[in-house]
Amino acid sequence: MTKLAEWYPIYLKEMLLFKRKLFKLGYLFSAMVVPVVYLVAFGLGLGRSVQTGRGTYLDFLIPGLVAMSSMNNSYSWVASSLNLNRLYFKTFQVFVQAPISPFSIMVGEVLAAMTKGLFASVLIMLVGFAVSAHFRVSSLFIMTLLLNCFLFACLGIVTGMVAKSHEDTSAYSNFFILPMAFFSGTFFPVDRAPMVVKWIIYIMPLTHTNILIRSARLDGRAATSLAVLLVYTAAFFVCGSHLIRRYSE
Amino acid sequence: MIEIRGLDKTYGSVRAVNDLTLTIDKGEVFGLLGPNGAGKTTLIKMLTLLSRPDSGFFTLAGLDPRSPHAMKRLIGVMPQENNLDREMTAWENLLIYGMLHGLDDLRRRIERTLDSVGLLDRRDSVVAHFSGGMQRRLLLGRALMTEPAVVFLDEPSIGLDPQIRRQMWDLIRKARIDGRTVVITTHYIEEAEILCDRVGVLSKGSLIALDSPAGLKTRVGEYVVEFVNEEGRLIQHMCKSRAEAQDTAGRIESGVTIRRSNLEDVFIKLTGERLE
Repeated sequence: MTKLAEWYPIYLKEMLLFKRKLFKLGYLFSAMVVPVVYLVAFGLGLGRSVQTGRGTYLDFLIPGLVAMSSMNNSYSWVASSLNLNRLYFKTFQVFVQAPISPFSIMVGEVLAAMTKGLFASVLIMLVGFAVSAHFRVSSLFIMTLLLNCFLFACLGIVTGMVAKSHEDTSAYSNFFILPMAFFSGTFFPVDRAPMVVKWIIYIMPLTHTNILIRSARLDGRAATSLAVLLVYTAAFFVCGSHLIRRYSE
Repeated sequence: MIEIRGLDKTYGSVRAVNDLTLTIDKGEVFGLLGPNGAGKTTLIKMLTLLSRPDSGFFTLAGLDPRSPHAMKRLIGVMPQENNLDREMTAWENLLIYGMLHGLDDLRRRIERTLDSVGLLDRRDSVVAHFSGGMQRRLLLGRALMTEPAVVFLDEPSIGLDPQIRRQMWDLIRKARIDGRTVVITTHYIEEAEILCDRVGVLSKGSLIALDSPAGLKTRVGEYVVEFVNEEGRLIQHMCKSRAEAQDTAGRIESGVTIRRSNLEDVFIKLTGERLE
């Protein structure tokens, strides 16, 4: 097998398992329920009074929900399953003992997590098309979505490798992912936040995803956000690969 | 085939493997015997590149762990803990494993593997629905599917009923006939005596004895004189010959048994611990 294809069995395994889950009502429901609840609660309820500068609040909210959903699903699946597979089911060890590179393990896991994140995002996009006449998907939107899935898949792998128990993965999620979902401009514009809070907000990668995914074109602000996302992605990818390479029981 | 020199591994304050030096020959069935916590599984994990030694080194067919790809191509592993994907079928488990190991003619290999472990008719069943014995057989089949030069079997027959255990032994014997080197850890004395050419006894991470099962028995004593004392404790004396055993038994008043020793007697004599 060429180095290029070493990741494929890992991806295939995850897809075989994903396919089984896909046809269970619970999975579709769980992938959609949070964003749809937010869409109803904020988009059709609280958010009616929010001024976003241009367009309706729904036009503002839906790309943010797509970004949030892609983050949640790319991250959570791989963080949780990698941790369980490493600590409890021991199936991760099969990869480690196989004649494939740590880089290939990383790529296989990332692509699988991306696929799951994209699937959930597409579901939200379908809802978006149904409820908003102005919802459009540009090439920049798709590129941002892919990059966001990749970034949070890498972060999920870092968490899955670092967390010492399954409970720890939930703690990481509560500390990093949940605040990001709310304070990164998913629901409200961040421009009017106090300066100190703004600093924190602009450290969060999802803030830059939200800026980029709502941008009509790659202007200066969007390009800066793209650069930030690329740096985060590279850092998380290198970190995840390193953790897999250094894995030892 | 396997050269181990001064291997050390410590977890916290526990020295799991302690300055272990050992050579395992090509085509040999080598048994690692020891109680829980003796370091057997840690040693297997290091030899299968799942765990890094703190110090020391080992080679496998002349390769060292700095060539992990080449080394991993030579080995098959049956871990103590079931690491099959429980939500996938037997076929899918072997498919993914075969692809990870870059095997060609995969369909034929999977069919042959499932047939060899008696699971061909369950190829499309999800592993979670398998009994413990079926899962152990599938694990063994998977370890042998790549036709490895060295097979590491960590407690292969743990928890199996005697009939399934014997089927497992047949598969291990077949691996040896096929020229593979087999390294097996076990709690079962009978398993070590029946299958192994040589046995290494591990205690607290150290190799305290190394010989053939017969050699160990000869060294420690081929006969055992045993009786129950007044406090209800079983007292055992190891004797080198039957004459010595009879002489020893003659000095005890009643309730004495003389029997041939087994590996468990050897183990107790060497370590003061009983295998459980």
